[in-house]
Amino acid sequence: MEVLRIEGLTKIFGSGRLEVRALEDISLSVAGGDLVALLGPSGSGKTTLLLCTSLILEPTRGKIVFDGETIHQQNGWEGIDIRRIHREKMGFIFQSHNLIPFLTAQQNILFPLSLVGKKGEAAEARVRELLEYMEIADRADYLPALLSGGEQQRVAIARALANNPRLILADEPTASLDTGRGKKVMELLKKIAKENQSAVIVVTHDVRMIEGFDQIYHLKDGHLQNDH
Amino acid sequence: MDLAVHDLKLHKGRFIATVIGVGLLFTIVLAMNGLYRGNIHEGLAVIKATNPDLWVVERQRGGPFNETSTMPEFYHYSLKAVPGVERASPFIFYTVERQVGDKSRHFSIIGYDVFDGLGGPQQIHVGRNIARAHYEMVAHEKLGVKLGDRVPLGLHTYTVVGLTREAISPDGEPIVYLSLPDAQEVLFQRDNEEIRNQRQRLSRSLTRSLSPPAAEKLLPGLQPDTHIINAILVRLTPGVNRAEVARHIENWLYFSTFTTAEETQLMLKGRLAGMTKQLLLFRTLLLLVSVVIISLVIYTFTMEKIRSIAVMKLIGAPNLTIVRLVMEQSMLLTLGAFLFGLLLIHNTYHLFPKTLVLLAEDDLITFIVAFLGGILASILGLWQALKTQPAMALGG
Repeated sequence: MEVLRIEGLTKIFGSGRLEVRALEDISLSVAGGDLVALLGPSGSGKTTLLLCTSLILEPTRGKIVFDGETIHQQNGWEGIDIRRIHREKMGFIFQSHNLIPFLTAQQNILFPLSLVGKKGEAAEARVRELLEYMEIADRADYLPALLSGGEQQRVAIARALANNPRLILADEPTASLDTGRGKKVMELLKKIAKENQSAVIVVTHDVRMIEGFDQIYHLKDGHLQNDH
Repeated sequence: MDLAVHDLKLHKGRFIATVIGVGLLFTIVLAMNGLYRGNIHEGLAVIKATNPDLWVVERQRGGPFNETSTMPEFYHYSLKAVPGVERASPFIFYTVERQVGDKSRHFSIIGYDVFDGLGGPQQIHVGRNIARAHYEMVAHEKLGVKLGDRVPLGLHTYTVVGLTREAISPDGEPIVYLSLPDAQEVLFQRDNEEIRNQRQRLSRSLTRSLSPPAAEKLLPGLQPDTHIINAILVRLTPGVNRAEVARHIENWLYFSTFTTAEETQLMLKGRLAGMTKQLLLFRTLLLLVSVVIISLVIYTFTMEKIRSIAVMKLIGAPNLTIVRLVMEQSMLLTLGAFLFGLLLIHNTYHLFPKTLVLLAEDDLITFIVAFLGGILASILGLWQALKTQPAMALGG
C-alpha cells in the first residue's frame, strides 16, 4: 500500500536575482515496507527534500499525499495538523541521535507514546518490547550521556518506532557511527521496514550503507534520478 | 510525563544553587517588608502606648516625636483649668547615649508625672511602676538591664524597679521611664566647671553696666531654666467635645493640639514617610532584580534545551507541552526560592538589630508578586522555545 506520493514538488528559496531552485519537479512514490535511500553530495537538496517530505518545510509547488491524505496541493497545508501527523504517523531518526538528555532510555521511548495519550501498563509494555527488540533492555534506566553512540542510536530508533509510524525518516543515521555499527543500524532499519510494513526513507551520503535498499535516488542540483 | 522535573533532576546542583541565590534575594525582600512594618511599629509604639486624648505641643510644631517642641513646665497647671480637661500631665522625651553596664547604649528617656500623671508605662512585664519621686526607673527589656540593677545617669544612680516590653522609641531604641524631675535633671545636668564658667561669663557681662553686688544679686535669676518639657498630655472629661477643648487650648494658651490619631498621622506622613518610601523602593528594586535573575536562568535553561525542544516539536509535541516545560521550571524556581527565603527570614528575623514585624498578608502579597514575576520571567525563554523550528533537530 502506498504510504507517500510526491508529484511535481518544487522548492524555490528567495526571488529575482537571489532565487535558488533547491528542488525541481520531484516525483516519487513509497509503499509500506519500502526502503528508500536518498543520496547526493552536499548542497544537492537532500535536506530540503527531507524537510518537505517530513512536512516541516512547505514546498513552493507540488502535491504530497501521505497515507491516503492529500497534505499539500495548491493551497499549501493550511488546516492540516502537522504535529498530529508527526506524532501519530511519522518516526524520525537523526544523525546525532537527538535523545532528550534529561530522560532515561525508556523515558525517551515513552515520550512519543505519552504524546498520543498512551499511558500506564500498555505504554510500559510497549517500551519494554521495543527495548528488547533493540537489544538494549539492560540500558533502560540509563541517561543518554551514559550510553555508547550505537546504544543511543538504538534508543533513537526505538523512539521512532514507538507509535508504529507509517513512515520513518532517517537523516544520516550512520554518520556518527563507525562502519560496523552503521551497517548494524541499516540492517535494523531493513528489518523494521519488512516486519512493521513501515516505509523507510534514509538520507545518506555513504553508498556502502545502502546495500539491499528497494529504491535508491540520487539528488543532483535539485533534480532526482532513480537508480532502481 | 513531567519533563520539567526530569530536567531539573539532571541539573539539580545548578537548580539548588539558583534557588538559594534567588531565595536570598527574596529573604531580603521579606526582611524589607518586616523592616517597613517594624519601622511603623517602632515609630508609633510610644504614641500608642501613651495614648492621651490630646497632645499639647509648642505652637506650630508637630512634636514631640516628629519635631522638637519645648514649653515651660508650669503650663500644665493652666491646662488643668481649661473646661473639659480632666487631667493634664507634663511630658518630656529625649534620646541619650550613656554607659549602661559595660556598654555604651543609645536609648530614649521619657519623664512624666509619676504620681497619677499620664505618659508612663502602661504594662509592666516584670516588677512595678515607679512609686517614688526620685531615683527609680522602668526600662525596656532591650536595654539589657535586670530588675534591681543600678544604672548611673549623670549625678545619680537609678534603680530598675520594672521592665516593660511595649514602648520603644521611634528610632527603635529602648525607652527608660523616669520621674519628670529626674528626667529633667539627666537632660540638663551639666558639668560643675561649665556652670562656674558660665556664671563668670554672665558676671563679667553684667559688671560692665552694674555694680558687682547688683550683678551678683541678678545672677541666680539669669540661670537657664531646667523646668522645660516637650508636651502636655491631656485626658478629657468623658463626654466633652474634643474639638472644642482643643480650640480653647489653641486660642487661649497659644499651643498646638493633636489627637493621638493626628499624632500618628504626623509621624506616618513626616518622620516615617521617607524611610517608608525608601524601603518600598528597595523592595521594588529587589523584586525586579529577582525577576531578571529568574528570567535569565530560565532563558539559559531553555537555550540549553533548544535542540531537545526542536526534537520534541518534530516528533509531534504540541506547544502546550513546550510551554509547560518552560513555565513549570520558572514556577518551581520561583516557588523554591520564595519558600527558602520565607523559611530563612522566619527563622532569623529576631537576629536583626532593628525590629522586623512579619505579617502573613505581606508574605502573601510578596508571593503573588514573585509568582507573577516568575511567569513574566519565563516569557523570554518561552518566546525562544516557541519560535524554535523543528528543522533544527535535523543535521549534525
